[in-house]
Amino acid sequence: MGLIARAASVWRTIARGRRLAADLDAELGAWVDEHVERRVRRGEAPEAARRAVLAEMGGVEPVKEQVRDVRMGRLLDETLRDVAHAWRGFRRTPAFTLAALATLALGVAAVTTIFSVAHALLLQPLPFRDPDRLVFVWADQTAEGYPRAPLSGPELRDLDERSTRFEGFGAIWATTAALTGDDLPEQLRIGLVTSDFFSLLGAEAALGRTFTIDDESVEGATSILLSDAVWRRRYGGDAGIVGRRVDVNGRPAIVVGVMPAGFRLMMPPDSAVPDDLEAFQLFNRRFTEGPRGQRYLRVIGRMRAEVGDLDAIADVARVGREISAAHAFYGASGRQFETVPLHVDAMNDVRRPLQVLSAGVGLLLLIACINVGSLLVARAAARAREAALRTALGAGRARLFRQHLVETLVLGAMGGALGVGLGYWGLRLLLRFTPEALGRLHLATMNLPVVAVSLGTVLSWMAVLALAPASQAPSASMLEAVLDDRGHTAGRGRGRLRRALTVAQLALSVVLVLMALLLTRTVQRVQQSDPGFEAGGVVSFRVALPGTRYPTQEAFNAFSRRMQESLAALPGATAAASWSHAPYDHVPNWGGPYIAVEGADASTAPQADYRAVSPGGMELLQVRLLEGRWFSETDDLSTAPVVIVDQRLAQRTWPGASAVGRRLAVDPFVTGTPATWATVVGVVTHVRHRSPSDEVRDQVYFTARQATRNPSVYLVKAGADAAGLVPAIRDTLRTLDPALPIYDVQPLTAYVDRARALRSFTAVLAALFAAAALLLAAVGIHGVVAYAVTERQREFGVRRALGAGSRELAGLVVGECAVMTAAGLTLGLLGAAAGGSWLQTQLVGIVPWDPPSVAGTVVVLVVAALLACAAPVRRALRADPAVVLRQA
Amino acid sequence: MARLDLMKGTLALLILRTLELEPRHGVAIADRIQQTTRGTFHVRPGSLFPALHRLEQEGAIAGDWSIVDGRRIKTYRLTSAGRRQLAAGARDWARVVEAMRLVLETE
Repeated sequence: MGLIARAASVWRTIARGRRLAADLDAELGAWVDEHVERRVRRGEAPEAARRAVLAEMGGVEPVKEQVRDVRMGRLLDETLRDVAHAWRGFRRTPAFTLAALATLALGVAAVTTIFSVAHALLLQPLPFRDPDRLVFVWADQTAEGYPRAPLSGPELRDLDERSTRFEGFGAIWATTAALTGDDLPEQLRIGLVTSDFFSLLGAEAALGRTFTIDDESVEGATSILLSDAVWRRRYGGDAGIVGRRVDVNGRPAIVVGVMPAGFRLMMPPDSAVPDDLEAFQLFNRRFTEGPRGQRYLRVIGRMRAEVGDLDAIADVARVGREISAAHAFYGASGRQFETVPLHVDAMNDVRRPLQVLSAGVGLLLLIACINVGSLLVARAAARAREAALRTALGAGRARLFRQHLVETLVLGAMGGALGVGLGYWGLRLLLRFTPEALGRLHLATMNLPVVAVSLGTVLSWMAVLALAPASQAPSASMLEAVLDDRGHTAGRGRGRLRRALTVAQLALSVVLVLMALLLTRTVQRVQQSDPGFEAGGVVSFRVALPGTRYPTQEAFNAFSRRMQESLAALPGATAAASWSHAPYDHVPNWGGPYIAVEGADASTAPQADYRAVSPGGMELLQVRLLEGRWFSETDDLSTAPVVIVDQRLAQRTWPGASAVGRRLAVDPFVTGTPATWATVVGVVTHVRHRSPSDEVRDQVYFTARQATRNPSVYLVKAGADAAGLVPAIRDTLRTLDPALPIYDVQPLTAYVDRARALRSFTAVLAALFAAAALLLAAVGIHGVVAYAVTERQREFGVRRALGAGSRELAGLVVGECAVMTAAGLTLGLLGAAAGGSWLQTQLVGIVPWDPPSVAGTVVVLVVAALLACAAPVRRALRADPAVVLRQA
Repeated sequence: MARLDLMKGTLALLILRTLELEPRHGVAIADRIQQTTRGTFHVRPGSLFPALHRLEQEGAIAGDWSIVDGRRIKTYRLTSAGRRQLAAGARDWARVVEAMRLVLETE
């Protein structure tokens, strides 16, 4: 019975069980009735006759039972027999079985791991109520080099008042605050939010509540919402915390609630809202009245239920046009808003690498399946005689085919199960090495949809591949196969199919190897590229001076100076300084417009990143001075404002001329307009402190003595043992001000490593996939060539007998290998060229046809191919004319 | 060829042979076997129906339903696969008989 007929039979037996039971009743009823009638005709009473018939047959039920046993039992029996047969077959050919299982397990493991990640990052909804209703609103200032700028307070109010398609808009801004009073002082990363922020997201507190509009009007005390981590760490998980008074920045605050453990906002990295915020507070009551140019709000809106995306985007754009017309502040260019669905934006940075990865594992799985298919073809060829023999002995073609299919599926199921296990382990390994930028990855678990998809894919592939050799197995040439001792004739067509499959997988591995090399070279480029500063040997930490005890800029400067001197004097330290930001940190970017000509239109002024550095700070990080001088301690509140600019800004503003001595209007206190005129005293090379691979924007450096930033990062340059300096640093701070919280103590290189982590992570993964693909392809070549050698063993023997040398025989085998490798390389490189533009976005400083990478790919492939055919060549050379001729 | 298999296969072979000339229903098959073997084989429903269903599932015979005197009757007919199976079975049987004869009639 063919598989389809059997499947139909299973279906009938199971799905139409009731109908079959009725049929059986009718059939047996007819039997009973007929025999009763016969007895009645012989003169028996109907009742007695029926009793007699039933007694004779031992009752109807047992018969029905037996028939049912036959129907179900046969199905189970045959399937079990096929499975057992397959199992025996696998045990007879352990090499084949191991190779096939390992190949499948590798492919499935890669796919389940990466799909689990992709599922968590791209497909799983954000943990908010109806997350597809949420959007980000950014100010589009692309012209000023700031495509996604935050909004100002008045703009948030405009959106709230003028839009018609939204339930509301909320905003967040990340900053820090000191928690004091009941324990050691501690600096927390806090989010300042609008009172409706959490209700708009649909996020609930685990204990107490989130903010309400009433919290804005409480006199005398502010409200604070704690994270689970702070609640447990600082308050020991005390359930009575709600309603308790704590001190934030020296002012009383009432705890209104605690967020659930694992609550994460998961905002895009460029929003500067870190995932690990430790507490939330409200903006001060009049924040929407601030200057229009003071932009810091990350705005989230919730669309009304029936509103479409386009409608909502148009609504926000209309508000932008209205306020552009209403306020002269926006000048000629006006204000454009960009509205982006939250679920798209949250994963902005990792979407592309993940797509590359998913494509990579997809290819890998394909290679794995092709490889197993190729192994199956070889096995089918080896068993051609068995198959032919069994066909001759009366086994139906359908029966052989079914057995083959069962074998293939059993193989697929075993390989798949192994692969899922391996993938589970792989995912856990991956999570341990996950860069911080992929925080959401920690939500990744191996779940049913992922496992179902990868197993389903493998099994359907296996079923398809099973058809290829099976359709060839008991062929018309069956008689020839039986007659021909070496299965020679039957092997030809199969050989061609195997070679084609091998060329295909070679081509796929070429693509993967090239991809891995390109990504690795990119990482190398990024790592070698000069960021414009030197982070080695530097310890960093942050300190926030409470405004209550350091109320003036003078007091601040005095303390800062004292601290710098004490730190620099530590044994082992060579210098100490402060910066407003560490490179690539989470602190919201500080920046604003600059103009060089008095009276220029401020609304179209170019934007620069601002940084405040203490005297000696730029030297400490070995920034290179191109022109002019560094800041000195004499540049302070009593002297005129000075700035240092980067080369980019200098060349853009004063092309071909010296920048030193020129005047620039900037906005260090974020008032919204560049009104502070400062003299340029120096020009430095551009410092890549926001992206390790790209120059982001022009840069203006202030001296920390004139533009106070609190909290600041303090840097201590040490010789060899930077980490060993940490206890001494803590002691120093305790001596200077025991109530001062010090936090974020870490080597400066940690920031740099984190910034590069995502790229390295991607490259390492790509390299792993490429290695796996290469291994599979090599197994493929080896299989094909080894098989071909077995097939031609007699030919080699004859050639040897006729005087062919080792070199000639080796040439024959290597030639076969070379043809396949060349074909695979050509196809693969062509394919890579076709997909190159897609990969370009992931590359920095190199082109997709980067000559060293292409050359590397060719070398790697050729070496792998040579290694793969080494063993077959040895076998060919061992062909003994005597043995072969005796067989003939 | 195992002995048990042979015995199990005997009823199937008898059924196939019985259906070779014309389609029949269960009772008719049992009657026919009893008749032609002159009562040697009395086929009980407990063996007949499982055998019929096994053969049907193997595709050697096919069942058709018809209404006779207001009663649903299942009639079995031989399929081409069944015809082949009968031929092969008959050949095997002949070989077994020949083999048994040789064994039993030799010293």
